[in-house]
Amino acid sequence: MASKIPGTDEAREVLKKHKIVIAGVGETDQGKIPNKSSFHFLSEASKIAIQDAGIQKSDVDGLVTAFSLVEHTFMHCTTFADYFGMKPKFFSSVAVGGATAVWMAAEAAMAIASGQAEVVLCVRGDNTLSGISSSGMVALIREMCHAEFEFPYGLTTPGGYALAAQRYLHDFGATREHLAAVAVTMRKHAANKENAMNKEPLTIEDVINSRIIAEPLTKYDCSIISDGGAAFIVTTEAKAKELGIQNKLAYLWGMGQGYSHQYLTTLQDLDQIYNAINTSGQKAFQTAGISQKDVDIAFLYDCFTITVLLTLEGLGFVPKGEGGAFALEGRMEIGKDLPVNTHGGLLSQAHLGAMHHVVEAALQLRGDAGPRQVDDAEVAIVHGNGGIVSAHSTILLGKEPLS
Amino acid sequence: MSEEKTYNKPLPEFRPETKPYWEAAKNHELVIPRSKTTGEYFFYPRALSPGEDMTDEIEWVKASGKAKVWTYAIHHMGPSKAYKGDPPYVVALVETEEGVKMMTNIVDIDPHEVTVGMEVEVVFDDVTDEVTLPKFKPVG
Repeated sequence: MASKIPGTDEAREVLKKHKIVIAGVGETDQGKIPNKSSFHFLSEASKIAIQDAGIQKSDVDGLVTAFSLVEHTFMHCTTFADYFGMKPKFFSSVAVGGATAVWMAAEAAMAIASGQAEVVLCVRGDNTLSGISSSGMVALIREMCHAEFEFPYGLTTPGGYALAAQRYLHDFGATREHLAAVAVTMRKHAANKENAMNKEPLTIEDVINSRIIAEPLTKYDCSIISDGGAAFIVTTEAKAKELGIQNKLAYLWGMGQGYSHQYLTTLQDLDQIYNAINTSGQKAFQTAGISQKDVDIAFLYDCFTITVLLTLEGLGFVPKGEGGAFALEGRMEIGKDLPVNTHGGLLSQAHLGAMHHVVEAALQLRGDAGPRQVDDAEVAIVHGNGGIVSAHSTILLGKEPLS
Repeated sequence: MSEEKTYNKPLPEFRPETKPYWEAAKNHELVIPRSKTTGEYFFYPRALSPGEDMTDEIEWVKASGKAKVWTYAIHHMGPSKAYKGDPPYVVALVETEEGVKMMTNIVDIDPHEVTVGMEVEVVFDDVTDEVTLPKFKPVG
């Protein structure tokens, strides 16, 4: 068992006192939408989330955004505040790659708990597919790898994850099928998500026989690229009541981060990654005072199939090396042991960091996930990873207030 | 940056603290930085030791040039058009005898013959007049 992490008891008291919640969510259409700009998507997603909460734009007094891969701005949050027409009392741009969306929720919570704001809009949107294309995403590695000691060797983004995947296969005797099973489950879930890009059924063979990108990864081991936006509104239970918000609320039970490396060059072994994931998760678990067995649904960053296996294992849901078998046996599907990414994830729904993971977690806890609804979903975990499995963040959400 | 070069793939832009590495590479020597206070090797090069000592007393040690493949990825597409015709090529992380990891290409071998744990040794690829990239090939 993990040792006691200092500060988690205090964190629990803060969360119990403030009863921080996700009170509204919004997703735009996702896919190839060439006639909308990055800030258009941000605005549209914000509007949908504000309307979902049933509040006024002027009720929002805090803003957390991230970054754009297309529209580079020095101060993203305030650039959007100007564009959207708001004057937030609290504003921040979070930029930790795929760990961003999860940490946006945490940042909003910290702002609220320290009196900076009461109603925080967290929003991302980008015209990634139309604005920079798939080849641009492949080249995005330049932003993550070492410019001098890695980039000159022709590393691609999928190649970075392939390096992790190859070592994983070696260390645990895992197989291509184990990786492929993750993509198959995501596709199955996407079939019931209205705005998912890819819904046609996928088999293990389809994944393995798809175009090889960077061995051992093929096309369907890699997430899709999309245009779109998503947003969620973080506030307190008391403020939600005061504003007359009718939605059921998703309560923040815990949060944590874990850091492994930035450059793969400085990675010692896979344990370094597992430890970072575990540190992130344990901080959240210990704050909430719960363990893995209490979690009903999981939203795990799935930019590539390998990250889901590493995360499942690092968070302690299955022993190291056994995530593949868990996936292959269909145990991540809705109705099984631990439904993962019930919306289809980055592999099949759309790619906007973990924004949709957070939104779907809230929808599931609200009971508003429609055909994807997991029965008796009371506790959700959301885990994001940025860089090449390097920077991690976790939140735990509950259907009821933390007790 | 110059236009007349035929090599149009990304080149490292040297920082003051990395220059000794690239100068050695140009002379076909692989050197690895080491903290003078702790004797610990580290890679990639930094101005201050990344260890607890934080020293700026760094020495450059000639490496044996021997390493083992820690992991590898056979790239079937490159990061840009400059790589047209190259795939499949191998990007690998190798662990040197000194105990540091380096990203590199494994060359002079069919990509599908590369294995984790394979013993490799450094070779020097003079990609431009100014830049030599250390790469690795199978031993023997």
